[in-house]
Amino acid sequence: MLTAVRNQIRISLLTTKYALVREMLNKATFFMNIVFMILNDASFIIQWVILYSIQDGIGGYNLKQVLLLWGLAAGTFGFSRFFFYRAFNLSEIINNGKLDSYLVQPKNVLLSVITSDVSTSALGDIFYAYIMAFIYKCSITNILLFTFFIITGGLILVSISVILSSLSFWFQKADMIAETGVSLMTSFATYPDGIFKGAVKILFYTLLPVGFVNYIPVGILSEFRLEYLILVFVVALFFIVLAFVVFYRGLHRYSSSNLMISKI
Amino acid sequence: MKAVRNIDFSVEKGEMVAFIGPNGAGKSTTIKMMTGILYPTKGSINVLGFDPTKNRRKLAYEIGTVFGQKEQLWTHLTPYDNFKFFGAIYDIPDYAVEKKIEELKELFELGDFINIPVRNLSLGQRIRCEIVASLIHEPKILFLDEPTIGLDPVVKENIRSLIKRMNKEYKTTVFLTSHDVGDIEKLCSRVIIINNGQVVLDDSMENLKYHYLNKKIVEAKMREKVNLEDEDGITILKDKGYNLKIEVDTEKRTVADALKLLNPDNIIDINISNVPLEDIISSIYRKGDKS
Repeated sequence: MLTAVRNQIRISLLTTKYALVREMLNKATFFMNIVFMILNDASFIIQWVILYSIQDGIGGYNLKQVLLLWGLAAGTFGFSRFFFYRAFNLSEIINNGKLDSYLVQPKNVLLSVITSDVSTSALGDIFYAYIMAFIYKCSITNILLFTFFIITGGLILVSISVILSSLSFWFQKADMIAETGVSLMTSFATYPDGIFKGAVKILFYTLLPVGFVNYIPVGILSEFRLEYLILVFVVALFFIVLAFVVFYRGLHRYSSSNLMISKI
Repeated sequence: MKAVRNIDFSVEKGEMVAFIGPNGAGKSTTIKMMTGILYPTKGSINVLGFDPTKNRRKLAYEIGTVFGQKEQLWTHLTPYDNFKFFGAIYDIPDYAVEKKIEELKELFELGDFINIPVRNLSLGQRIRCEIVASLIHEPKILFLDEPTIGLDPVVKENIRSLIKRMNKEYKTTVFLTSHDVGDIEKLCSRVIIINNGQVVLDDSMENLKYHYLNKKIVEAKMREKVNLEDEDGITILKDKGYNLKIEVDTEKRTVADALKLLNPDNIIDINISNVPLEDIISSIYRKGDKS
């Protein structure tokens, strides 16, 4: 069992490496993608700096906490799209019957598919995330905790995308649901949770778990609470397990295709 | 919609079986069920002692697949790096992969291009690499789905002889689907024909030819026009005055009878041939459609 897990991780890392090598064939484009993503992320912060110059404290957050929130949002987004890029177009892969080559390999199908490509611009998000983390508080504990939340949050994002995309096994237009779900999570992740009330807030801790991806982690990084840290870990684990269950349930309904496909 | 119904067959170790049928007959669906890609709604499949629906991963270690229309290789990597990657997928230790690559490099004559990125290779070279990639883990069965699609005749011939050599060397069972009669005729000793999701013929290549080759095609160039009409055992396929093409059913009439009808003194040139295997297969497909 342990060997199988180790071999699976080895393959996933090897695939990520080869996908990265492919992206780096054009070095200029590769670096431009990263730099422009950092600039793109930074441009949003300007709006917040202006807002905070008018009013101090929005939704219970000070400016540094907003920077941290953006750091976490960019970090989880970047981590999920760099290591698990194909989780975000899984619907298209299922609909077009592109799972065949993974199904004939003796590896975990879901992991093999979602790790089979990388997004280079996501590296820009990750770099940006750490710049924000350092601005917030430059300490080893802080950076370690921040990294932990990027991983748990990224994995929750990936899981949500896998769960929603797996609906494609049952009906065709599930790609729109997956796209909407993930983009809603990403959008809400950049606003202080204090501005949301009532039912929307419940949504953030259930169907669209932005709370566990961003809000609770911001709280823990501001004031450490072990029980919340454990809660985030357990919730991440829950969504990961759910993603595997839904995907493998759906896989029984996979219908493949005879399209001409090349691995690019 | 049911793609296949009541398909039942077994394959012996080391056999080279052609699994053929017209488009939409259910070939790919059957192969995909046998390799664990698709789940059948009913029935049972046993491949090398494994149920593909329950033991997909275990089965994957024992089978290799080449889908001519779907590439498995990373195009920016060299064949060598791809083979190493496939070795890792099948958990083969590095030294064993190296040894296997060396062996297959010789067998499939990859020496000239093993270190050139796959995207720069010709289609024929790529297909050879695809086959080698699927053999890295020494599979007991190789599923080949249209392995020579899009290749020129010379390359096709080359691929066929390499597959034959591989079968001889490793005793790998080959399960082939192809629309190319040359692939079937030159590689396989047994043919399973499927149509409308059902097996319509399961026989040895020898028997197929023996039973269906009871017709001869006679093409003759005549000195004078001959007025010939269809009669028992003789069918006029083409009559262009001086050029005739007739089909003789040798169970009813001999070829000599047919020649007598033409008058041997009137014949300038003659060609007597078997019905092409392609036509035999097409007629079996058509029979399947009618039934």
